[in-house]
Amino acid sequence: MPLTSYESLFFWIFGIAAIFAGLLTVMARNAVHSALFLISSLVSVAALFVLSGAEFIAGVQILVYVGGVMVLFLFVIMLVNVGAEESGREEIFNKQRQVTTSLVFCFLLVLGVLYAVNKGSTVLLKQSQRSEESVAEQQAEQDARLKQGATGTSRITTDTERVGNSLYRYASLPFEIASILLLVAIIGSVMLARTLRQEASADDIDPEVLAAEAIHDPELKKLEAASQE
Amino acid sequence: MVNNIFAALIFLQEAGAEQAAGPFAAMKEGVKHPDLSKFLVIAALLFIIGVAGVLTRRNIIVIFMSIELILNAANLNFIAMSRYLQQTGSANALAGQIFAVFVIVVAAAEAAIGLGIVIALYRNKETIWVDEIDLMKW
Repeated sequence: MPLTSYESLFFWIFGIAAIFAGLLTVMARNAVHSALFLISSLVSVAALFVLSGAEFIAGVQILVYVGGVMVLFLFVIMLVNVGAEESGREEIFNKQRQVTTSLVFCFLLVLGVLYAVNKGSTVLLKQSQRSEESVAEQQAEQDARLKQGATGTSRITTDTERVGNSLYRYASLPFEIASILLLVAIIGSVMLARTLRQEASADDIDPEVLAAEAIHDPELKKLEAASQE
Repeated sequence: MVNNIFAALIFLQEAGAEQAAGPFAAMKEGVKHPDLSKFLVIAALLFIIGVAGVLTRRNIIVIFMSIELILNAANLNFIAMSRYLQQTGSANALAGQIFAVFVIVVAAAEAAIGLGIVIALYRNKETIWVDEIDLMKW
């Protein structure tokens, strides 16, 4: 069942916005601009999720990506800001030869993917075409059974409920594994981002390295003396 | 041989009959009622833009952002397919949405670790240009 009327209008608006914001992400000179364009691309994709009936994933996308990951990106950009690229002194792309080669191969890839989508979707849609009307009826029936919203004009989706149900029913082990992955990521990023001084105060550093670095840094010398006692 | 030619002629006639509704009738219908394939095309374009970003940019943070773009395109594919399966009445139609949740989790973990590596790298090498980080090149 394809999208209809206003849905299709919003589909084209958000789809084209997502693609253009993605293009600008890759082409922007300033990394902060890249991050902001990526945020608008992610929001547009979240809108596409809503259009395809995945409201829960759209909310997660906004919360996790835009609220969490992109803020992290912006922090890191501010931390390592070099400033040379904004003023136009540094080339933002690789060397000419590499760029040309990669763009040629990307073009071939996009042609292949579009051909595959074209071929595959005609077959898929032909398979589903016979049941299209019964599916529409079924959908309308299901929609009529949904709980009404507070205003009485709209109905409340059960998408979150259903996703939660099948997440715990069919994917509880991957769910637990994902939690361990996140724990490892937290510990790993803290370990990676420590400064030399923080490493020295946690006594987690090679004594030779510490001795070599302590010559330049008086604070490290104190820590070195403390660790030798 | 003759049969083939007849088949081709019949095919052409049918194509002509389809065109009678207007030269771009099928295309117009596709624009008015976007279906699964339009979602897949948008996802494919986002994916390619991400790949191009990874291959061409020098700034390691922008490369990470392009990777996020790629993962997002994959998510869009999952969601579109999940919607299609829901319409065909498949029992396991929500698998796509569940998988999208896991992709988002992995993307968040990857971003945290990757940006930690970027900070450590910047502290040691004073650069975020990937072509200057060539310690393992010989």
